[in-house]
Amino acid sequence: MSSKPHSSNNIAHARRTVQQLRIEASIERIKVSKASADIMNYCTEHARNDPLLMGIPASDNPFKDKKPCTIL
Amino acid sequence: MGEMEQLRKEADSLKDQITAARKAVQDSTLQEAAASITVVGRVQLKTRKTLRGHLAKIYAMHWSTDSKLCVSASQDGKLIVWDSITTNKVNAIPLKSSWVMTCAYAPSGNLVACGGLDNMCSIYNLKGKDGNVKVMRELAAHTGYLSCCRFLSDSEIITSSGDCTCVLWDIETGTQKTVFAGHQGDCMSLAVSPDFKFFISGACDFTAKLWDIREASCRQTFGGHESDINAIGFFPNGNAVITGSDDATCKLYDLRADQELITYQDSGIMCGVTSLAPSVSGRLLLAGYDDFNVNIWDALKAERVGVLAGHDNRVSCIGVSSDGMACCTGSWDSFLKIWN
Repeated sequence: MSSKPHSSNNIAHARRTVQQLRIEASIERIKVSKASADIMNYCTEHARNDPLLMGIPASDNPFKDKKPCTIL
Repeated sequence: MGEMEQLRKEADSLKDQITAARKAVQDSTLQEAAASITVVGRVQLKTRKTLRGHLAKIYAMHWSTDSKLCVSASQDGKLIVWDSITTNKVNAIPLKSSWVMTCAYAPSGNLVACGGLDNMCSIYNLKGKDGNVKVMRELAAHTGYLSCCRFLSDSEIITSSGDCTCVLWDIETGTQKTVFAGHQGDCMSLAVSPDFKFFISGACDFTAKLWDIREASCRQTFGGHESDINAIGFFPNGNAVITGSDDATCKLYDLRADQELITYQDSGIMCGVTSLAPSVSGRLLLAGYDDFNVNIWDALKAERVGVLAGHDNRVSCIGVSSDGMACCTGSWDSFLKIWN
């Protein structure tokens, strides 16, 4: 004989699971080819503004310590 | 048939429906789509700064939106706000509980937050009248450790917890606005979408979930990992999610196609991913691992194109600044390093 509170918890949990799965099953999906193209396009469009990808000239790099020049 | 049996059958049927619907849009793969582009050349970043001052393991770091200041949390019981360019400590905030696991910088720059084994999220005001940094709020309600927190604004913050839930808080009143329940394991990490409408969470149930903040609902669940998800982040366009797991892989999931697009793995990598951050274009994925290294991946080709080797212990946290100029790593060796 199952104890009442325990079994009603399980049922409530199962109901919530089904409810959630219904939400997730009903969403609209786009094709992987389109999703991939959009990701690739984003990378291409923003590549030139990506300092870690393009490299940073020393003069524009706030983190690079500028060594003082010595005039001999 | 009892109701339990009926519900189980319906759940299985719905799971099959989701699997079929995902397959139905799988007309290609990212691998195929990216076949014609070349891998990026070797990425060699150098350590430009080392931030020294913590006396124990660093567990978390977060950049300020100004790309100059950042905050770090260590189990030496301190939150330190650093000027990453001068390496000066702007603030050194002593914490009530030294068991800190996460920290966050508010987009405004006015507040920082942290939390951990005290199950609370403490909010600190950096811009108080008398110049002292004080606790502004202690957000308490989680029944498990605080694994991650991220500000939406100065008045709202989202937390993830070992109690398997995420919570949206009203900082002013110190109350929970929304509890996001659904994960079947400790929530380890969260990230907010660029438009602030959604957030994603990664958990010890091996799944990532996408949540609608205002609707207070879970929209999508992504599986595939074979162990705990420790790190999560949005691809910069907001339409894809990157996860890092104890299964030694990172995965890219597309939100609109509702499925995994690619896995970042290498037979030579056998240790867990602790942290991750994409570069601003999304082309590079920087991921910290338990073996003390950060691997840099070409996100489109899923090939390793660089390594950041410089820490003497696990890399626990990583972040790329908003302007993309630098990457910061934090480690159990007690140091933070700035790379570019």
